[in-house]
Amino acid sequence: MSRIALEARGLCKAFKSGRSKVEVLKQVGFEAYHGELSLVMGPSGSGKSTLMACMSGLLRPDEGKVTALGQDLWRLPEGKIDRFRLDHCGFVFQGFNLFPALTALQQVEVVLKYQGVPRSQARERAMRALGEVGMKPRVRQRPSELSGGEKQRVAIARALAKSPQLIFADEPTSALDGENGQVVMKLLHRAAKEHGAAVICVTHDVRLEIYADRVIHLEDGQILESAAVTPSDGAATLIEAS
Amino acid sequence: MSLALSTLIYEWRRYLAAVIALAFSGLLILAEVGMFVGIGKSFTATIDRSPADIMVTAPHSESLMNGDSSLPRRIMPLLYLDPEVVQVADMAGSGAAFRNFPRPGQKVKQDYVQLMAVDLQPGAVTWPTDYGPDIRQALSAPFSVVLDESALKQLGVRLGDKAILNGHIVRIRGLLHNYANINRPMLILSRDTLTLLQAPDPERSGALMVRIRDPKRAIEVRDQLNVMGKGSFRAWTRNELARANDSALMKEQVIGVMMNFTIVLGVFIGVGITWQTLRGAILANIKEFASLRALGVSVGSLRRIVLELAFWVGVVGLMATAVFVWGVAALGKAGGVPMSFPASYIIGAVLLLMFIALGSGMLSLGILKKSQPADLLR
Repeated sequence: MSRIALEARGLCKAFKSGRSKVEVLKQVGFEAYHGELSLVMGPSGSGKSTLMACMSGLLRPDEGKVTALGQDLWRLPEGKIDRFRLDHCGFVFQGFNLFPALTALQQVEVVLKYQGVPRSQARERAMRALGEVGMKPRVRQRPSELSGGEKQRVAIARALAKSPQLIFADEPTSALDGENGQVVMKLLHRAAKEHGAAVICVTHDVRLEIYADRVIHLEDGQILESAAVTPSDGAATLIEAS
Repeated sequence: MSLALSTLIYEWRRYLAAVIALAFSGLLILAEVGMFVGIGKSFTATIDRSPADIMVTAPHSESLMNGDSSLPRRIMPLLYLDPEVVQVADMAGSGAAFRNFPRPGQKVKQDYVQLMAVDLQPGAVTWPTDYGPDIRQALSAPFSVVLDESALKQLGVRLGDKAILNGHIVRIRGLLHNYANINRPMLILSRDTLTLLQAPDPERSGALMVRIRDPKRAIEVRDQLNVMGKGSFRAWTRNELARANDSALMKEQVIGVMMNFTIVLGVFIGVGITWQTLRGAILANIKEFASLRALGVSVGSLRRIVLELAFWVGVVGLMATAVFVWGVAALGKAGGVPMSFPASYIIGAVLLLMFIALGSGMLSLGILKKSQPADLLR
């Protein structure tokens, strides 16, 4: 079995809604492994995104423990959690969230700059990451000049450039057409396989299951099923062909 | 190029309101300063452009603008005791009642004007360096006056017209340029003509204008004269007195209150608009800021981005202020309203505008609370 990268135990999270309290996560346990793509699936409102936020250090759970890369994440002070994310986590969001003023290259460089990577090295790493997602010819373009699929590829390059051991992707394909969605999933799959990162991807698109090593079904804040799967032959062929 | 500067350049439309607000705040303040200092300068224009190296006033005078700067007449010969002094002359002038001779259909114009006497002999210390020989010739006839062309309309006269000054008939024999005075028209005449219009005070003279052998030694000679005077007069270098005159009007109570009011108003308008514009512009990019937070960039770093953005808005605002002020000064000049901007006031305005910009940036920091990365996961 692969090495464990992230482990969540007994996660609970509730939000106030008017006078009532809505329990979004109910004693959720979760494991993610290096070199694997874990797909968290479930209908809207099932708690997928909240689970990801709690596991990635963005949202403090009411109860439970998250051990990420051997560290008890929520026991760290806030500044250290920021630093942990800066050093070890990549994020890919549904809405790309790229700065309109920056070129593709600058989008990637800016994060490396905050990580403390020297300028020349940052440029080299940014170019490499953009090359990896097939964006080398478009490095000087700004988001307004890129298609949705290209923007998401830049966002993936921004996540990959830091060489993170944990990659969190929230509905990364839902704003894209089928073809671009496939490309994005292949890139995330490759990040897991070639870089050994633990990729945790939240989606409600069942077509993406073919890329997953592990599928977790979440409903009403509880895990219904968690199973290791072998990517289908079709996906393997697709991935190899890409 | 930094993220802040790239954002400002690329999304300049978003920040335009802040830049314009800063520029108008700067213009509001500087135009008022420029106008008041300009008014002050027009009273002292003949002195500022004279070949005098040193000025001597009453011992406690703070400038030529406020209070009495006159001296006992015995001071004038006393100054020649310093071997470096080569020429001394008193500033002679006063207010006078002016009336035109209206042409048919024209109204009588009566006004209170400022008279300023000059000495006509070549090399006189009271003779401004930019007066031409035509002015000398014009003033050499008794009861002749010259005035700035911008005063003609106000006084209802033309070149060559006669007018009544303190009950005597005088003739407008020449025109000056660059000597506009919007507060009180200034008439230049020879010392002899002034004496004909108004008997000089036998006891007291106006401030003294002094020419010395080596103008480069103005500071040393000033000190020598002050030591020699033992407190009976005060010697200044010409530039020193010009600077004191610049700020003198600002210290006057009414003008000071107006200036302070304008500055407070400028700060309020500037901060209000700049703050709200910055806030709106940052809010427009809040998801991008949140994504940086998610990737581990600290809140402190995001704050620095916002403050840098505010700094650059301030810098661009200053550039826009310079353009606006230049435009207004050019309009003023064209309309006969001389404006003057002393360096100290420009530096003050620059600091104030940067304070407004950075203060607005600080007020905008609160919006970063909305950059919750967890909100991106929906």
